Amino acid sequence: MMQPGLYHILFISTALFFMGVYGFFTRRNLVTMLMSLELVLNSVNLNFIAFNKYVWPGKMDGLFFALFIIAIAAAEAAVAIAIIINLYRNHKSIDVNDAEDLKY
Amino acid sequence: MGPSSLIVLIIAAIAFSGIAVLVSKVLLKATKNKQKGQPYECGIPTQGKTMVQLNVGYYLFALIFLVFDVELVFLYPWAVVAKSTGWLAFIEIVIFFFIIFMGFLYAHKKGALKWM
Amino acid sequence: MNELLTLMKSELVLTVLIFLLLFVKIGRGVRNEALLPIIQVLLLLNFIVGFFFNGEGSLFGGMFHTSSLIAFEKNILSLAVYLISLLFAGWLKKSQHMPEFFLLMITALLGMFLMISSGNLLMFYLSLELSTIPVAAMANFDLDKKRSSEGAMKMILSSAFSSGILLFGISLVYGATGTLAFAEIPAQLNGSPLQVLAFVFLFSAFAFKLSVVPFHLWAADVYEGSPIAVTAFLSVVSKASMAFILITVLYQVFKPLQSIWYNMLVLLAMATMVVGNLFALRQQNIKRLFAFSSIAQVGFVLVGISSNSTLGVASVVYFMLIYVFSAMAALGVAAVVSHHAGQENIDGYKGLYKNNKFLSWAMALALFSLAGIPPTAGFFGKLFLLAAGGERGAYWFITVAALNMIVSLYYYLRVVRAIFMDANEKPIDIIPLGNTERLGLVICGAGIILVGLAGGIFNFIQTLH
Repeated sequence: MMQPGLYHILFISTALFFMGVYGFFTRRNLVTMLMSLELVLNSVNLNFIAFNKYVWPGKMDGLFFALFIIAIAAAEAAVAIAIIINLYRNHKSIDVNDAEDLKY
Repeated sequence: MGPSSLIVLIIAAIAFSGIAVLVSKVLLKATKNKQKGQPYECGIPTQGKTMVQLNVGYYLFALIFLVFDVELVFLYPWAVVAKSTGWLAFIEIVIFFFIIFMGFLYAHKKGALKWM
Repeated sequence: MNELLTLMKSELVLTVLIFLLLFVKIGRGVRNEALLPIIQVLLLLNFIVGFFFNGEGSLFGGMFHTSSLIAFEKNILSLAVYLISLLFAGWLKKSQHMPEFFLLMITALLGMFLMISSGNLLMFYLSLELSTIPVAAMANFDLDKKRSSEGAMKMILSSAFSSGILLFGISLVYGATGTLAFAEIPAQLNGSPLQVLAFVFLFSAFAFKLSVVPFHLWAADVYEGSPIAVTAFLSVVSKASMAFILITVLYQVFKPLQSIWYNMLVLLAMATMVVGNLFALRQQNIKRLFAFSSIAQVGFVLVGISSNSTLGVASVVYFMLIYVFSAMAALGVAAVVSHHAGQENIDGYKGLYKNNKFLSWAMALALFSLAGIPPTAGFFGKLFLLAAGGERGAYWFITVAALNMIVSLYYYLRVVRAIFMDANEKPIDIIPLGNTERLGLVICGAGIILVGLAGGIFNFIQTLH
């Protein structure tokens, strides 16, 4: 049986990244857009871990970077959800198409 | 036991379930009534609307929990080097928790931890 | 320990400030009128302390490094934050959550300080997030206004998306080079496709944060929606800090890929200038006008950055110093007018000169400087940027930039004409101007005139490294 190698993991992480990007651009619900962003960040985590394991096994930079990304993603999501709650209180909707006061 | 046995197993499983469905369809006469079409056939009917919206308060709690919860991830790298770094590691973690505690105090002062 | 105190002095001062504010907030609470002067004095002290006890060197295994140039850049940012505390005092006093505003702003400033002096991509990413997440919360500061929360939502989503792209780029850099330290990456770069792809990802994240043209759409909405104080912070302080770190990243880390980023920079600079100016022409709202004009100014900054020389660094830092004074003065006047008269459209400024002479002259001076009309400092700033960009010999590129300066004259002077020449039956009444606002505008005006005329400042910046 073939072991999964670096390329398999990179394939998955790239696919995850573009799924996240696709979701971010097509979804119209703010919370779902936030979830797509988390998908992007997780693909990056996967990348870091894979590079650390397969390409640079002697170094720890990638692992720590992944840990920091997890923490920062939580902080970012917290602020984003707080803003979305406030938007909901003002607009009574979390659909981006309803947030259209600002246009040129 | 090669791949062929697996195929035999799959075919047998499909055939078995298919025969069971077929037999029940042939032998039983299907009856239709209003009660049967409802989502729950047992228990008392639900009161009011089932699809209620959750209060925003839940989200606030979840947010605060999330932030304090995820900060603990920093303890993993700290724990790796805590023993070899000695007092410096201890002082650093005290500062770290002091900062988090200040955030907690702020949330408490703003009344974010009161239920509703 | 002693080294830590001297090298990280400005960061430690800001941390102490943050905790002081938190204690004030958690404690019994102080009235805004009493607290604001104290904060202003503290921020002034922070600015003054920035000039003394500056060291050079690096800490934490190269994670953090500082030099005289970086210290000077930090001083520019501190000055801008001090000016914000002066110019927007009227709005701040009325605000329900003033301590939080300063808390968030100083935290973001701390993030920017760490970002400018970061020496590692991990440190860079962390400080970048520290400098953008609080700003998104600040953009939502008018809690009950629809536009404010909408702008904040656009800001947090686009900045989170761009940091996702940045992270993907960083992960590819790590995969291709095996290191995250700024000092070690250049030796590993050889221009392989993976590295170029990583660089493109990284650069587009920078373009997002700097609102360079294909990625500029969030900027105008956020600037219009958020309170003017936050607009000032976003368009001056964040932009300046991003430009400074972009210089470090391009000149030091990606030096081996120079031929690639030079072409990208030229194209993006031209697109940014042209699109920013053309969109600014048709704006009626003054905040939106400043948003697009600041996009155009970023284009000029990119012209300076493209030179890849010490002259380029000096011209960008010098331009940013001038930009702090001019943009702050313009937005400060806009904030006072919007606060007292509720006017945010250019038509509302008609006949402002009749009752408010001081405000009109301050606005005119700021707009002349932004447009780059000779006696003001803005002219010299743009001149040095274009001179630096011309070093590479791409004269058609400089010609496009110079033509854009002429286009920008039109919309800046449109505001000046509305203030001084257009007739209006009911011009804005006399606006009572607070002492702090007046002081802030005087500082800005003095800066706009003196920084240009005192030629020593540019030479001084050139000696820093």
